[in-house]
Amino acid sequence: MHVVYPAVVAALLFSIGVYGVLARRNTILVLMSVELMLNAVNLNLVTFDVWLRDQLHGGQVLTLFVIVIAAAEVGIGLAIVLAVFRNRQSIDLDRLRDLFEPPNSSDPDGSQPAATKVTTGVGPE
Amino acid sequence: MNTITAPAIEYLQLAPLLIVFGAGILGVLVEAFAPRYLRRAMHIPLTLLSLAGAFALVIVQTIKGVPTKPSAMGAVAVDGPTLFIWGTILVLAFISLLLLNDEDHFVPAASAVPGSAEEERALIEGNVHTEVYPLALFAIGGMLLFPASNDLLIMFVALEVMSLPLYLLCGLARRRRLLSQESAMKYFLLGAFSSAFFLYGTALLYGYAGSVDLAKISTALSANVGQDALLFTGAALLGVGLLFKIGAAPFQAWKPDVYQGAPTPVTALMASGTLVAAFGALLRVFWVAIGELDWDWSPIMWGVAILTMVVGAILAITQTDIKRMLAYSSIAHAGFLLVGVVAIGDAKQNATALAAILFYLAVYGIASIGAFAIVTMVRDAGGEAWHLSRWAGLGKRSPKLAGLFAFFLLAFAGIPLTSGFFGKYAVFQAAVAGGAVQLVVVGVVASAVAAFFYVRVIVLMFFNDPAPDGPTVVLPSWGTASVVGFAALATVVLGVFPQPVLDLAQSAAGSLFVR
Amino acid sequence: MELYAPILVLAVLAAGFAVFSVSVAPFTGPKRWNRAKLDAYECGIEPTPQPVGGGRFPLKYMITAMLFIVFDIEIIFLYPWAVAFDQLGVFGLIEMVLFIVTVLVAYAYVWRRRGLDWD
Repeated sequence: MHVVYPAVVAALLFSIGVYGVLARRNTILVLMSVELMLNAVNLNLVTFDVWLRDQLHGGQVLTLFVIVIAAAEVGIGLAIVLAVFRNRQSIDLDRLRDLFEPPNSSDPDGSQPAATKVTTGVGPE
Repeated sequence: MNTITAPAIEYLQLAPLLIVFGAGILGVLVEAFAPRYLRRAMHIPLTLLSLAGAFALVIVQTIKGVPTKPSAMGAVAVDGPTLFIWGTILVLAFISLLLLNDEDHFVPAASAVPGSAEEERALIEGNVHTEVYPLALFAIGGMLLFPASNDLLIMFVALEVMSLPLYLLCGLARRRRLLSQESAMKYFLLGAFSSAFFLYGTALLYGYAGSVDLAKISTALSANVGQDALLFTGAALLGVGLLFKIGAAPFQAWKPDVYQGAPTPVTALMASGTLVAAFGALLRVFWVAIGELDWDWSPIMWGVAILTMVVGAILAITQTDIKRMLAYSSIAHAGFLLVGVVAIGDAKQNATALAAILFYLAVYGIASIGAFAIVTMVRDAGGEAWHLSRWAGLGKRSPKLAGLFAFFLLAFAGIPLTSGFFGKYAVFQAAVAGGAVQLVVVGVVASAVAAFFYVRVIVLMFFNDPAPDGPTVVLPSWGTASVVGFAALATVVLGVFPQPVLDLAQSAAGSLFVR
Repeated sequence: MELYAPILVLAVLAAGFAVFSVSVAPFTGPKRWNRAKLDAYECGIEPTPQPVGGGRFPLKYMITAMLFIVFDIEIIFLYPWAVAFDQLGVFGLIEMVLFIVTVLVAYAYVWRRRGLDWD
């Protein structure tokens, strides 16, 4: 099989992943899209490994590392998603807007994001 | 059947890395088996001693002589620039950890909802997440490995080992919890996105050169084998991943959000250590692996440098949050440093530019930790006084603190007699010698714009009336006080006598990156 | 063909064991009737009826699943070693032991922090 076919499939998968990250608003789906991108890379690496007849199989070894690190990344990502969900009851990315450029720079009280009132932290609210 | 031989590993050269990672693993064991009340008392010496030990080993290595070839079968390059960067990161990490040590920066129970009964209980029991120490150690280990990695596999692993703990640390702020978690989420998603680009670039370069080794990619370039499409796409995607980590425009969007939301000591660690590490890695990829291609990448890098300086300097003016403003200032500084990256030429020119970048990184890192340390000390009822208007008149109420902050800001602006001046001067001089005069002109204009917003804060602090219910300045712990003291001292000394460190940077850069 | 003989033997052994276990179990094991046993198997959750969208899962599932995935995938590094362990010799063995010790440290942390307890 010519090397172009798997390479093109990998490029398509990667593009689908990029589209997913940019278009999706659900954090979990964005996470899945990132995983898709990583898997496209894996496909590419294995393809090149076979194509180049790499004696030391550098591509396949890198694939293993990518798989492991992707798993670690998902573990941490889901933990962060969970923490956000517990506080907000939502994992919609569009609603994560507390960190933003304040619209009016000279107004100290009016431009305070709502979150500062909610999370002044510990103690009775 | 081809045979695989066991690799030769130069353990002594890698010892600083091994110590930091080993201490991180020991830290996890402490978390697992030590009783709660002992944990902090065990973590602090373990963490600080391991960093000090690693620093001592770096010095020993430097005195013994810089290795002339990569260690661990070409996977990790412990060369002059690496040793300088290691020393810098270890110093920066040490003082960031003194800052991190103040227990009230972090959340008592990360999984509890703010204001819930669970959190009340954690507070009353005096719980703290002492996991921050091993997490920070792992991040620091990744920072050490990142600029030293001589092949793209190690570089990717180091990138993730550096980033993953930082994602978590960002979400652990005690106050303004939602902001903190939001910053962790944004940092994580954008970071994972960018590392996927880095990896795709790696895969394509592997397809081009048949190896992920930086030196072999460079050899493949001169042998002109493989397909140019793979090479150029791969290099561009790799560049995206690296430029994201240093926060260069147009990949800077995460920086203000993350710096604002993260606990301030973690921000200090990121603003100094991550920047140094990422610049080391960027230089290694662009100068060693695709250095021969500089005619192709330097126009793009020119554009990125100009955009980064302009975006950083101009958007900083509109900020009202002190940490956000410092984040944009960090973006602008990344732009100034990129001016040095573009100044590639013959070996002598490269050594000059590299020495300038190394010096700049060291002085900027120290000054920014000092500035963030002061941010932790100015408090409102609900935590740090983040809004700039709250800082009005601080100079009248606590002149010493405001004076120190003003001094760090002047160092950022690059006023003579501060370390920032020599850093900027060295980088711009190297860029002029490298023929990037137009870029330096843009850089100087951007510095002037940046100086405007630094001075604006100083004017706000010293010439405005304090608000009646203004923020209080907390009495610093010994850690915070020594961080501020050290940073101020280093900024003064390096502003008056920069020569020893400049010489050190020059001798480190003289041997350039090994291949 | 000879190359595949061990795989064939393994397949036969596996199939034999499976058939043996399934066919012998009804005659030897005790039988206690339980309604839950007759439910369709769905990873331990109630199969029907469920709220729209599947409803919320208890967090315990997620933690267990994540721990499983992380520790499961770490083992992937044993494969390249298994391919070349005879050529790598003692060096490879020591490195793998170090790796497994590192994973064990993480495991000890999970265990001591009650990550493995169900309740």
